[in-house]
Formats: sequence, structure tokens, C-alpha cells
Amino acid sequence: DWVIKAFNDNMPYDQFVTWQMAGDLLPNPTREQILATGFNRNHSQNMEGGIVNEEYRVEYVADRVNTLGAAFLGLTLECARCHDHKYDPISQKDYYQFFSFFNNVQESGQISWDNAMPVPTLLLTEEDVQSRLDYLNQDIAAALASMKERTIDEAAFEQWLADGGPKKKLTRDIRSEAIGWFPLDKLPVRNRRNPRQSGIMKQQFTPDAQPDLVAGKDKKGILLNGDAWLDLGGVGVFDRSMPFSIGLWINLPEDMTDGVIFHKGDGAIIFNFRGYHLALKDNRLQMMMAHSAPYNAIIEMGPEVAREQWVHLMMTYDGSSTAKGLQLYLNGKEVPTRIESDHLYKDILFPERDKQPGLQIGARWRGQGIKGGKVDDILVFDRCLHPLDVQQLAIGNQQGFDTEDLQALSSSQKQQLRSYYAMTETGHQRELKQIQKLRAKQNSTADSIEEVMVMAEMDHPRQAYILERGQYDAYGDSVFPATPASLPAFSQDLPRNRLGLAQWMTSPEHPLTARVTVNRYWQMIWGKGLVKSSDDFGNQGDLPSHPELLDWLAADFIESGWDIKALIRMMVLSKTYRQSSIPSSELMELDPENRMLARGPSGRLSAEMVRDQALAASALLVPTIGGPSVKPYQPAGLWRVNGGKYEADSGEGLYRRSLYTFWKRTIPNPTQRTFDAPTRSRCSVRREETSTPLQALVLLNDPTFTEAAYQMGLAMNKYANLSEGIQQCFRLLSGRKASQKEIELLTEQHAFEWEAFSQDPGRKNGWLASDLAVSDTAELNRIAACTVIASTIMNSDASLVKR
Amino acid sequence: MQEELFNIQRQISRRRFLTRTSMGLGALAFGGLTGSTLMGQHPGSDPMGKILADRGLHFPPKAKRVVYLFQSGGPSQIDLFDYKPVLEKMHGKDLPDSVRKGQRLTGMSAGQSSIPVAASYFSFKQYGQSGAWVSELMPYTAEIVDELCFIKSMHTEAINHDPAITFFQSGNQQAGRPSIGAWVSYGLGSDNENLPTFIVLVSKNAGGQPLYARLWGNGFLPSRHQGVQFRSGKDPVLFLNNPDGYDAADRKSMLGYLKQLNALQQDTYLDPEIENRMAQYEMAYRMQASVPEVTDMKDEPDWVYDMYGPDSRDPGTYAANCLLARRLLERDVKFVQLYHQGWDQHNFLPGAIRNQCKKTDQATAALVKDLKQRGMLEDTLVIWGGEFGRTVYSQGKLTKDNYGRDHHPRCFTMWMAGAGVKAGMSFGETDDFSYNIIKDPVHVHDFQATLMHLMGVDHERLTFKHQGRRYRLTDVHGHVVKDILT
Repeated sequence: DWVIKAFNDNMPYDQFVTWQMAGDLLPNPTREQILATGFNRNHSQNMEGGIVNEEYRVEYVADRVNTLGAAFLGLTLECARCHDHKYDPISQKDYYQFFSFFNNVQESGQISWDNAMPVPTLLLTEEDVQSRLDYLNQDIAAALASMKERTIDEAAFEQWLADGGPKKKLTRDIRSEAIGWFPLDKLPVRNRRNPRQSGIMKQQFTPDAQPDLVAGKDKKGILLNGDAWLDLGGVGVFDRSMPFSIGLWINLPEDMTDGVIFHKGDGAIIFNFRGYHLALKDNRLQMMMAHSAPYNAIIEMGPEVAREQWVHLMMTYDGSSTAKGLQLYLNGKEVPTRIESDHLYKDILFPERDKQPGLQIGARWRGQGIKGGKVDDILVFDRCLHPLDVQQLAIGNQQGFDTEDLQALSSSQKQQLRSYYAMTETGHQRELKQIQKLRAKQNSTADSIEEVMVMAEMDHPRQAYILERGQYDAYGDSVFPATPASLPAFSQDLPRNRLGLAQWMTSPEHPLTARVTVNRYWQMIWGKGLVKSSDDFGNQGDLPSHPELLDWLAADFIESGWDIKALIRMMVLSKTYRQSSIPSSELMELDPENRMLARGPSGRLSAEMVRDQALAASALLVPTIGGPSVKPYQPAGLWRVNGGKYEADSGEGLYRRSLYTFWKRTIPNPTQRTFDAPTRSRCSVRREETSTPLQALVLLNDPTFTEAAYQMGLAMNKYANLSEGIQQCFRLLSGRKASQKEIELLTEQHAFEWEAFSQDPGRKNGWLASDLAVSDTAELNRIAACTVIASTIMNSDASLVKR
Repeated sequence: MQEELFNIQRQISRRRFLTRTSMGLGALAFGGLTGSTLMGQHPGSDPMGKILADRGLHFPPKAKRVVYLFQSGGPSQIDLFDYKPVLEKMHGKDLPDSVRKGQRLTGMSAGQSSIPVAASYFSFKQYGQSGAWVSELMPYTAEIVDELCFIKSMHTEAINHDPAITFFQSGNQQAGRPSIGAWVSYGLGSDNENLPTFIVLVSKNAGGQPLYARLWGNGFLPSRHQGVQFRSGKDPVLFLNNPDGYDAADRKSMLGYLKQLNALQQDTYLDPEIENRMAQYEMAYRMQASVPEVTDMKDEPDWVYDMYGPDSRDPGTYAANCLLARRLLERDVKFVQLYHQGWDQHNFLPGAIRNQCKKTDQATAALVKDLKQRGMLEDTLVIWGGEFGRTVYSQGKLTKDNYGRDHHPRCFTMWMAGAGVKAGMSFGETDDFSYNIIKDPVHVHDFQATLMHLMGVDHERLTFKHQGRRYRLTDVHGHVVKDILT
């Protein structure tokens, strides 16, 4: 819709390109500017389980480079992916310098199995929803502010201290306040706080088993084998608005660098880490809460952790959907983390599942676990624990809060106690509940908002390298954003990012962008570009047939302010275009391809036009602009080869312009594909123009075309004078008047068909709509005959080829 | 045919002809490369060379047609053909690092804490004169081993289905290149003007890893080279059927009028494309008769159905597709490709593979026998294989009677039979674990080069220029496996 609107509004082409390349990098970008960057995300993506993530991430970046080359520069950049270009002055280093412009997207090579929109995304919030969200966010902010400003009742606090409050509070057994407490001392594993919840070892395609009990931190604990996870029976299901805390004792084996400690989710990258986890990653602790990692997630890297000894780990979360609200404690002490991602804006649950996976320990499906690790005493709280609580769980009361001597408390201890006390006040509890209620509403509102893929630059660019032989993991020298020496210099004033690249490309001095663009419009209108190889302006490409014309058009295009409508208007109003396309036999001999433009252009209508033309001429076309894609007629069962089912729309969806046809790359719409529409697996700027028997079958028998013929037959039959009806039909389909001979021929055919239908009325059934409210057989026969005439015209050269 | 070509040539330039002509004229794809001009004015005066080049050939072809039985998902070589007695001793022990050599695993088993060797659950015996090892799963294939040439040393680059199958069928892991059948159609054209050159049949009695239209797509080649999927049911080819009640005679008259209408247009515009398009309509019309004729298999005698097995009476099954393939080959369809999904046995392999073999083994063997009986095997190439093999180690838990196997690109088994291929041969060897190749590796590009060679095409010379580069099926690789050729 953005693209269609941009064309309709005649957005200057340099702006059109800049927004699509780098709308997100413009100062204070608008939603439309960010949306435009979806251009670089619409490559194929892979959700096959087990693919190597980096291999595909690299493919996506490569696709952006290849598209840049084909669409804007007319250069075959991809030839330089594995080695220096064989023909053009583009080195492999040049290729990876371009690559580095597009390499800074926090995306996943493997996308989620539940069709979650591949990140990064932009929320396409409707206005009313946005106002609801604004309202909620305001309320949340206000509640947070008032909570922050709340002062405690100092007198009551002092009284609490005097009454030995700290001792009472901080020596109690907090575990009894948990919603999940798994001591792991005997089998079966049970939740002491909810005995109906029990734990069992699970592994894909393997029967459930009891865990192995071994000596634990406290009495017994369980031993992990790295493949099976301890499923705790459904405890730990929290959405992102809910505060929670999860802790355990763990004894990690010596040489383990990667493996999941606990998680709530299903598999690992399969669902792009939906849920939360605490894991070892590259030998450090990693916390994650994700809707769809890595972008729509909170990811924090913590410290390394001691091995072969019991350590206490706890993750606490305050329900804020921010990295600030997600804390990691190691042996009771909060530890600093490095934030790798902090934009969680959709829920961490699986919205479509009746039963959410709960907390699991020590391994996960198709992921790495902690083989040889031991765990003990797992606790799950439905609140964000205070640091003093965590400390008590980990190291007990070793800091003297149980003292009766209040003077012995240090000021920092007293400060901690003050915040602890504040937390216990009923007013505070009420506020927390209120905030959580608002956040829950905010969460459910946000979760239903449509998303769209866009570009977003990482805070710290990812280092790019020359990839030897194009291999994703064969790093050569590091490279940085730059453009080839053979092209105009990349000005020092430009930022070294996609925005700078767009500005470099659309600079009036750039020799390629404008030429490539006007050439492609020339190709659209004449069937062939002035440079026939519209995708290759390099040494292997064709030379322009009219170089001065190309230069002039490009210069004029830039001077016009990159005005596409003016460009097209000029082309189609030109004397050259408006020449007759009827050749003399001499001209046909001299210049069969019409390279010299001594006659008007001719060429078969494109796949989309063939269909749209039939719909338009038959008045079936629904001219609505924009909106979601539609599913027109398609033979049943085609999607079966990859497990899908195509359900055609009814009503308007059948008759929209082909531009709106739902496109499934793995099984593209057959009607369009048959007429040379590309599969859209990769950028394509030029189509083959073929003629095949399958095209004949589409035009003869595809219901879109028979239905259009029927509508035209009905209309034709309404004319008192048949030849007028034929003429009207012919004009609508071909754009010219039929000759006398043509009318005579078609009239004769009408008589023939009518005669045939009269003799055997069954012959016409397939041509007529079943709900036709005409009972007179002779009339029906006439309508059917007219329908066949319309179909004949629709199949003729006059309709299919623009002349 | 020659006459027709001359007539067309008179009207249009050669270049235009090459980019626009239709089925049956694919031979001309070579015109620009061999330095020959359109109608056989080849350098030198070797009459054989001239005839070959006229037909788009670089060598005398051994295979006039190919039937490629694609076993999608990656059949386990270890449980079918690549017999490894040593594994019984190693069963349950971790695969030695000296065998794995740090090679990458898929994301499905890379995280596994151990990778225990799983010996095949099935027993193996030697069969035929050639003494080929075949497991108990394939009793019918066991009967025909003396017709087959096993390649035990196939290897590929991809470790996941989508890239691997795309690589096998198009020579590149990423979507966008033409499929093998499309290249064959482009290079060699058709021997049957009433049926498509490249026909695809997908088993309905299988499910599993997805297939994609690009596997039989034309990529950047003209769309006429795309494979045409024949489906079971009343509309075997999309939009083949005329509107209800409108019969072939009606259609013929209608096309007669259309031809006259187009002729009037032609008188004005002198465009040979108009005649070409009309020729396409005529072929479509012929297809409307020839497709039902070939897909309606009622005329096959019972003994034929018995040979292919009971499924063969149920249209759309693998067995029925094998029989249909034979009928298509009889009519000189150049490239027939079957797809049977379901070999992706990550878990519960013993049960699943048994089931899979039941659905395919008998009909596969029957097709080879049937072609042989009809004297067609000598110029028909039959190919059986998937996109990769499976690991010797168990994915998931290994138990007494259950295991799974992950994808294994480093070695797997395929077989070829018929035209130009040595019968009763086993080529290439793997190590004791069927993990690495120790002798005569055959890369996917080598396989593709060999296939093209058997059809009379030099894989290095059949190219198509697209976006600034001349592409070929085998990219910049591929060697014909001469040792398996007769």
C-alpha cells in the first residue's frame, strides 16, 4: 500500500528510493518513512528447523546487495560475492563493503515456526488502538510516578524497626510464599506449594522418565543429561506484564560453554525463543525474554559463573517489558549485565495455544542443555523479589539484619530496609496491582496489532568481513561501508550508513541511478530498454541503442525533480511512441526488433495485464485501491505439496487487480506464473516474454477468463444489432475497432455457435452462470454464442498484444 | 519440421527466433554458443556433428528420456543399501571424533549431548550376479540389482532440505535457477508435440518435508521450459478441460475461427509471433486429447497392475505415478520426475522407513522391469535418490528398537539404471560408519553433469545468459562420472 500510494502521489523518485533504503535513518522518521524500509526485508526467508542461522542471515544481507545492484545501479554486484567481478570493476571487497551497509539488522536467519513476523518490525497501529494505547501508557506512567513519589510513613517505619520487623521478615522462610517450590529431594518431583503440579523428565520422541536423584545443595538434587528437560508441570507461565522471579541452585560442569539452565518456551530458535530463559551462552550467563528474538526481545549478557560448585541464580522481573526491569542475581548479589536488545513490544506467550509450555529445566528441544549439571531447590514467585529476599534465599541472613541493635545497622543497610519496608506497605501493593492491571491491558491491546517487517539499525554495527568464496563462515579481512572506486566518490559529508548510500545513489552526479531508472521505464513502455540488458549496465550488458537519448532522458529526469509521472507522460505522448506499430515488410526485414524505433511498440501484455484487461473489459474488475492481498480463483490442491490449503475468496476478492493477488513464493499463482510473472524469489527487473500451450489453456478455460467472457457475452447479447455488440466487445478488449472483415468473421462464428448450441443445448452449460434468470432456450443459446465470441476475441492477438 | 523452421526463419531474425520460439524448437538454444547459425551451417563438414547440433546435442545421446524418482526427505543409506557390519559392535557408543572430524551438524542435533552410533535395525543380504547388498526393506529392488548402478559415494553441500533439494534440482542452494528438467527442455526440446517435455508427478500418498514449484521451475529460462505437474483427478493439467458440455469438436471449430481472426491481424502486422501463438493453441488442443489419453490407465492389463502393486490402481499414489511415468516415457516425454515425500526420519525411523519402502519399493522395481520388457531401458535413464543421506548416529534417544537419524550430506546412496549406465555396478565407497567417503566421491554437480552427458549434452556448454552472467546447471563445477558409463 505504501508503494502504491507513493506512485499515485507521484513521490519524487529520489525520495522514493531514499525512504525505502533508509527511511528509518532520517531525522525523526515518520511511520511512513520507516514503513518504506520494508523494501529491504521482502526477500525469501527460511523457517526450516535445523538450518544454520548465520548461513541464512548472510543470504538475506546478500539479497539486499543483489537487489541494490539490479534495481538501482544496473550492476551485477552478485558476481563479486565469491571473487572479484570477471568483467566489471567491482572487487570482492567492494561487494562486502556494500554488504556492510545492510549487515546491521537484528534479524534471525531462521524465522519462527508460528509465522510470527520476522523481526525487526513496525507496529501498524490503527488510530483508535493507538489512542487507547496512549491512554494506557499515560496511566501507567502516572501510576509509576506516583509510586516513585510515595514516601513512607517514617514513624511507622521506625516503629517497624523497633519492633524487630527486619528480623521477622528476613528470617522467615520466603519459600513458602512461592507459587512453585521444588525441593527435588525425592521422587516424584512435586511442587510443595501446589502438589497437583509434578515434574518429569521429557525429551522429544522419548517416553517421559523420572529424573536421577543425586546429592544436592540441600539433601538431594537432580542430575541433568543435557537432552531431557525437567518439565515442572505448567508452573512459570507469565506474560510480559506480570512480575515474576525464578531461582535455583545449580552446579555447572567444568567445560560447558553453552546450554540452557531454565526456560519457558518451546524449543530454542524454532519459535525464535518465544518465552524467557536463563542460559549459558559463550561461557556467560544470558537472560532473555522474547516475543521473537533477537529484536522483539530483551537480551542481557551477564558474567561468567563458577563451575563444579553450587551457585545460586535468580532472575527477577518487574513486568515493565524493559531490560531495566529484568535483573540477574548470582549468589544473592545483583550482577551487572550488558544489554543486547531492549525492545520487547509483543507478548512472550503463544497466543494461539490452549496450553502454554511452562518452566523447564536443564535442556530444551533442539537446543543445547547442561549435560552433567545438577540442580536443586527451584523456586518460582509471582512477584519481583526484593534484593534482600534474594539475598536471603541465596546466602541466608548473613548481614546482620536480625540484630536487635538498630544502631548497628549501617546507613546503606537502613536504606535497603526502608525500600523493603516500602514494598510491604499496603498502599504500595495496591499501586503494584494497579500498574500490573494497566500493563496487562496494554499487552493484550498491543498483541493484536498487525506488524510489518522494516529495517532497524543495531546500536553497535556488526563487523562485516569479506566472506571467502561467499561462504558465510569463511571470514577474510574486515570491511566497512564504502562504495567501489570505479563509481563516484562517497562524499565525506555523507554518513556511512544506508542513508548515506541512498544519498550517494540519488546524487545528481551519479551516472547510473537515473539512467537505469529511465531505461526501465522505457522498457516498461516499449517492451525493451534503450539498454536492452536493463539489469546489466556493465561490460557484459548491451550498449544503448540511442545513447544520447538515454543521457538526455536521465538528465531531464533529474532536473524534473525525479518526476516519474512526467517521465511517463513524456514517453507516451512522444511522437515516437505514438507512431503506428504497423510495419512495412521492408522495415520488418531491416529491423524486426524495432531497435531503431521507426514504428510504434508492440508486445504481449504482462501476466497481470492479461488478467486485469479481461476483468476490466468485462466490468468485473473491482477497482478498490490498497488493502490486504486477495485470493482469486486457483485450481484446488495446488498447495498440497507443501501442506497448505488455498481457499479462494468469494465476491470482490476474485476480481481485484492482479497486483493484489496473494503470492506464495513456493507455489506462485499459476495463472500469472504461466504468463511469465517471476516467482519473486529474488529481484527481477526484466521478464521473458513467451508463448506456450499452457497460456492458451489459461485463456481458454481458467474460470477468471470464462467468467469474463460470459459477462461480455451477456452485454453483447443485449445489443439489438449483433455486429454492434461484437464491435463493442472487440473495442473493450483490444483498444481498437474491429475491421469489417473481423466483424463478418465473428458474426459468422456466432451463427455457427448458435446453431451448434441449438442442436445440442447441453454444449452451452459450461459457458453460462448457473444462476442466470433466463429460461428461454433460444435466448440462452444466443447468450452462450455471444460468450464464445467474447472468449474468441479475448484469445486473439488483438487482445493479448499491445500494438 | 525442417520445412516449418525455414519458413519461420524467413520471416524473423534469428535472435528473435531464439528468444521467442516454443516447444519443439529448443534445439536452437545452442545456436548462439556453438558458433553455428540457425539451420546447420556448422563449421566443418562432419555430418554427424551437424545432425547432433541440430538437435541441440554435443554427443551422441545414450538416453532419449529420463525418469527421475526423487525420494524427498533423504532416505537412510545405512538402512537400505550401504551395509556396515562394523556398526553392530559400535552400537550405542558415541561416534568417534576421528570420524566426525568436527563437521557441522544441523541445528536439530547439534545441541545433543551425545551422538550414539545406531546400527541398522534391518538385516542385509547380497543379491544377484552383482552381489549388491540390499536390506530386507527393499525385497523388490533386491530382485533387479543387476540392472542398477549404485552410487554409494554421493555427497552434497547443504544439510537442510530446502537448500539441499533446491541444490539437487537446480545446482544452487538458493531459489531462482532453472531445474534440471527445465535445462533439458531448453537444451533438447521435445520429441512429442502433444505432451509437455518435462512432466512432474507428486505422490499423494506421502507427506513430509514441503516441495516447491521451483523444483520443477524454469528459473530465468523462458516459462515454456517449466515442468508441468500432472495431477490425479479430472483436470490432470491445469485448465485442461473445456467448459462443461463444450467438446473437442466445438473447441476445434472455435480455434478455427480464432485462427482466421489472427490471420487477419497477421495480414496487417506481419508479426510471426501471431503464427507462433496460434501454433501454441493447436498444441494446447492436442494436449486436451493426449493428456487424458495417457493419464487414463484403464487400458492397462491386470498383470501390469499386479506388477506395480495394488496402489497402482489408485491414481496419484507413487505406484500409479510409476505406471503413468512409463506411459509418458512410451510417448517420448523427455523428462519425467516423480516426487515421493516422507523419507525424513528424524525419529521412529525403523517403523517409518518400513512403511515408506512398502509404498515405493515394488513400483520402483516394476518400472525398471517394465521398461526392460518393453525394450525401453536401453535408451531410458532411471534415477532413484534423495537430497542427502542420514547420520549414522541416532538423533534423539537410542533404544533397543528405536532410533532416528539426522540429515547427512557427506555421503549417501543413489542408483541409476538403463541408458548408458553400467548395470550391476556399485560405485564409490564410504568408511565403516557410512559417514565419510573413502573412494570415488560423486558430488551433486557431478551427478548433474553425468545426467546431461547421458542425454548428449555437455554441461559446460549448455548455458543461458541472465543478469550479466552465463549460467549453467552445474555452476562452475561438475565432472562426468565416466567410470559408470557403458
